[in-house]
Amino acid sequence: MSGTRLRIGCSKLVSGIFLAAPLALASPALSQEQPQTPASEVNTQPTPQNAGQKQSTDISTLIKDDNQWPMAAKNYANTRFSQLNQITKDNVGQLQMAWSFSLGTPRGQEAAPLVVNGTLYIVGPYAGVHPNEVFALDIADGELKWSYSPKPDPAAEGVACCDVVTRGLAYDNGKIFLNTLDGFSVAIDANTGKELWHTKLGDINKGETITMAPIVVKGKVLVGNSGGEMGVRGWLTAVDEETGKIAWRAYSTGPDSEVLIGEDYHGPYDWLNGKDLGVKSWPPDKWKIGGGTVWGWISYDPDLNLIYYGTSNPGAWNHEQRPGDNLFGSTIFARNPDTGMAKWAYQPDPHDLWDHDEINESVLVDLTIDNQVRKVLIHPDRDGFMYVIDRTTGKVISADAYDYVNSIKSIDLNTGRPVLNDAMTPSLGKTVRDVCPAAPGAKDWQPSAWSPKTKLLYVPHQHLCMDFKTSDVGYIEGTPYVGADVDMYAGPGGYRGEFMAWDPVQRKKVWSIKEKFPVWSGALVTAGNVAFYGTMDRWFKAVDADSGKELWKFRVGSGIIGQPITFAGADGTQYVAVMSGVGGWSGAVAVGEIDPRVRNGALGFTGAMQDLPASTVGGATLAVFALPKNQKKAASAD
Amino acid sequence: MRFGQPTHMTLAAGFLMLTTLCSGHVLAQDKPNGNASNPSAPPPEDSSSAGQTISPEQLIKVPVSGLTPGAVEARPKLKLPALDDKAAERGMQNFASFNCVGCHMGNGGGGMGPALSNHAFIYGSAPENIFLSIYQGRPNGMPAWGTVLPEDAIWDLVAYIKNLSNAPIAEWGATTSSSSPAIEQVPVQIKASANPWQYTEKFSKGQKPQE
Repeated sequence: MSGTRLRIGCSKLVSGIFLAAPLALASPALSQEQPQTPASEVNTQPTPQNAGQKQSTDISTLIKDDNQWPMAAKNYANTRFSQLNQITKDNVGQLQMAWSFSLGTPRGQEAAPLVVNGTLYIVGPYAGVHPNEVFALDIADGELKWSYSPKPDPAAEGVACCDVVTRGLAYDNGKIFLNTLDGFSVAIDANTGKELWHTKLGDINKGETITMAPIVVKGKVLVGNSGGEMGVRGWLTAVDEETGKIAWRAYSTGPDSEVLIGEDYHGPYDWLNGKDLGVKSWPPDKWKIGGGTVWGWISYDPDLNLIYYGTSNPGAWNHEQRPGDNLFGSTIFARNPDTGMAKWAYQPDPHDLWDHDEINESVLVDLTIDNQVRKVLIHPDRDGFMYVIDRTTGKVISADAYDYVNSIKSIDLNTGRPVLNDAMTPSLGKTVRDVCPAAPGAKDWQPSAWSPKTKLLYVPHQHLCMDFKTSDVGYIEGTPYVGADVDMYAGPGGYRGEFMAWDPVQRKKVWSIKEKFPVWSGALVTAGNVAFYGTMDRWFKAVDADSGKELWKFRVGSGIIGQPITFAGADGTQYVAVMSGVGGWSGAVAVGEIDPRVRNGALGFTGAMQDLPASTVGGATLAVFALPKNQKKAASAD
Repeated sequence: MRFGQPTHMTLAAGFLMLTTLCSGHVLAQDKPNGNASNPSAPPPEDSSSAGQTISPEQLIKVPVSGLTPGAVEARPKLKLPALDDKAAERGMQNFASFNCVGCHMGNGGGGMGPALSNHAFIYGSAPENIFLSIYQGRPNGMPAWGTVLPEDAIWDLVAYIKNLSNAPIAEWGATTSSSSPAIEQVPVQIKASANPWQYTEKFSKGQKPQE
C-alpha cells in the first residue's frame, strides 16, 4: 500500500486557447484606475442632461461613468468610490427607501448589485427553490425585467465551507457573467436574460465550489475556485467572454509550468525566487491538496497590464501536516491578464498557522510617500496588518497592525516575513488560548473603500480572538481537510466589529466606530463625503467620511453582509442600494442548521456569534434609497 | 482527555480499515509517516461488537416520512446492535477519523453539515434512520458513506450521535431572546467527551467561554 492515493485532476492544465482581446479600449486615459484623478477630468457629474445618454457596453468605459456601478468593486482599482455628490453629509439624514426587492432566499447575501445602463442586476445565494438566481430590475421603479435560474446540483451545499454565498456578478459587452456554487461559469444576455454559454470549471466531488465575483479584463472572465477547507488545489481561470472557452488556468501550487511562472517572474525577496517553489515548499505531494484557492477580489492596473489577487490559506489548518512555506498559499499574485503569467508573488504569511487567507482586496492607488509618488496596492490583511506594497515589484513599503494582534510581533521589511510570537505556535492536541486575531483574521473578504478626496481607506472588519487546538486529519476527497477545533470570541474590550478610516501614508487609524458584531458588509464612499456600511444587527449606516460621525441609519429586514453601491437614474437621482440578508461564515449560526450552544460549530465562528439569532434571521432583500424630491432639487441647485 | 483526541494508533487503524475497504479511488490518507501505510499495523480494536447486521430487506422498510397512508403501522421492529457507551466511544473516534467532524464540527454543533447536537433530524431521529442517512447519504451534501464504511462503524457513529443529540430540553418549542438559550456546552477544546451534554456552562453571548 503506497499510503497515499490521490485522485486529483491536477495534470489537466488546459492548453492555452488564447484569444486576442476583442475590445478596443475606448481611451488610454485612466480615470477610476487612478482614484486620485480630479473629478473634473472624469466628467461624470450626474445631471439630467447627460445621465442615461451613455450607452456604452464596454466595461473599461463603464467604470469611468459614475452613473453606473458596473462591477462589484466599482472599478478596476477596487476603490468603491463614486463621484456622485447629490447625497452629501448635510442631506444624507433625509434618505428614504425608494423601492425594495426580495430575492426569496434565507441564506447569506454577500453579493454586490451591478447597475448598467438603467438596469440593476443581482444574484442570490445558493439556496431556496432557485439557487443562484439572477434578477434584472429597472432602477427607476424596481420593475422586474427578467430572472435566470441556473440548473443546480444541490449537493454543492455539502462542500461549501462557510454558508452558500456568492459575492456577485460581472458585466461586459452586453453580457452578465455568473458563477454558480456548483462550479459553473455562465454568460447571460443582459437585455433578455437568455443563457449564452455555460462552462464547467470546478468539481464538487473534489470539494471545489465558486463563490467569488468574477471580473472581466480585456474580454476574459476571471474566475477562481473556493474550497481551502476541502483540500482543493487553488486556481484562477480565464474564460473567453464570447465563447466560454478556457483561455488559461493558473494554479496556486505545483510546478512553475502550472503556476504559470516563467521568465517574466521576479519575486520581491530572495526566498520567493527559485524553481518550482510551489512543489518544493511542501512535503511530497501535499501541494496537490494544498489549498491556495482564489475566492476574493481581483484588481487590475491597465497601465502596468497586471491583475492582482490573493490566494487562500494552505490546507490543512493543522500546520504540522505541511512543513515548509507552502507556496503559493496565502499569497498575493501579480499576473499578466493576457497570458496568466506571473510577474511577482508575495506571501505575507509563509506557512500559515491560523487560516489566514490573503484573498482580501488589494486597492490600487498612487500615494506620495517620502516625497515620491508610488504605485501601491493597499492590502488590509487577515493577519491584522495593513500592507502597503509597491505594485510594480511586490515589495512591502509598510505594514502596520490595524487591530489587536498578538500572534505576530511585527513585519520585517527587509525580508517581507512576519516576526511570529512563537509561544503561540500550535502543536498537536494542545489548546492555544487567546490567539488574536482569530481564524477569519482582523478582516475577511468584506471589501474596503478608498476616497481620493479624503485619502483614507474605509475598512469594515472584525475584532475577535480564539482558542485553537489542532488534530491530525486524513484527506478524504470531497470532504473537509481542516484538523483543528476552533472557538472564537470577542476581542479585548468585548466588542466584535469595527468600521474605521485608515491613513496609509501616516500609517494610522484616523477614526473608528465599534460595533457589537463583526462588520461583515462592504464599504462605500462618495464625493459627498459620506461613507456607508451595514451591520449584522440590521442597521444600514451613513457616516461622515472625515470624522466618522453617524449621520443616518435605517433598520432593514435582516443583518447586512452585502456590498453597498451608489448609482444615478436617467433623471439624475442618486440612489444608494444595499442587500440585506444575514449569513456568511460569521452569520451562519443565524441561518444554517447550527446550534448556538455548541461553540465549536461553523469552524469555531459559532462561539463568537451565538447571540446573533437574537438580533436577526435570514432573508435576502434589496433596499434602494434616495433623497425625497424636494431635497434632490435643493442638492441639484447647489 | 482519554477519549478526547484520537491517538495516532487509532487514527491509523481507522484509516487502515478505510483504505482497505475502499474499492474506488476516492479515499486517500494523509499520514505518510504514520502506521496506516504499514501492513503490519494492528487491526482496529473491537470494531465489530455490533455483531450481526440488519438485512437490507429489513432496512428498506424503514420509513423516512412520518406520514403513513391508511394509518398502517409501517415501521419494522428491528433488533439493533448495542448502542452503549463503548459504542459511543468508538463512534467518537470514527467521527474524527472519517471526517464527520469536518462538516458537522466538534460535538456536532453544525457547519457545512447540519447540527447533530439537538433533537432535530431531517431524515428521522430513530437509530435506523440515522444509520440510513449515513449509509445512503442525503441530497443536500451528505456523502453516501455506505460505500466505504463497514456497517459496524456506522452503528458506532449512531451510538455517538445519540449522545451528541441528547440536549437538555427546556421547553417543547425553543425561545430565542436576550436570555435564551441559557446554557452552552463546555467547548471541546476545554472538555472532550463522548457525552458532551454532560458538561454545560452559562451561555456566553459571544464572549470567551468561562473555563
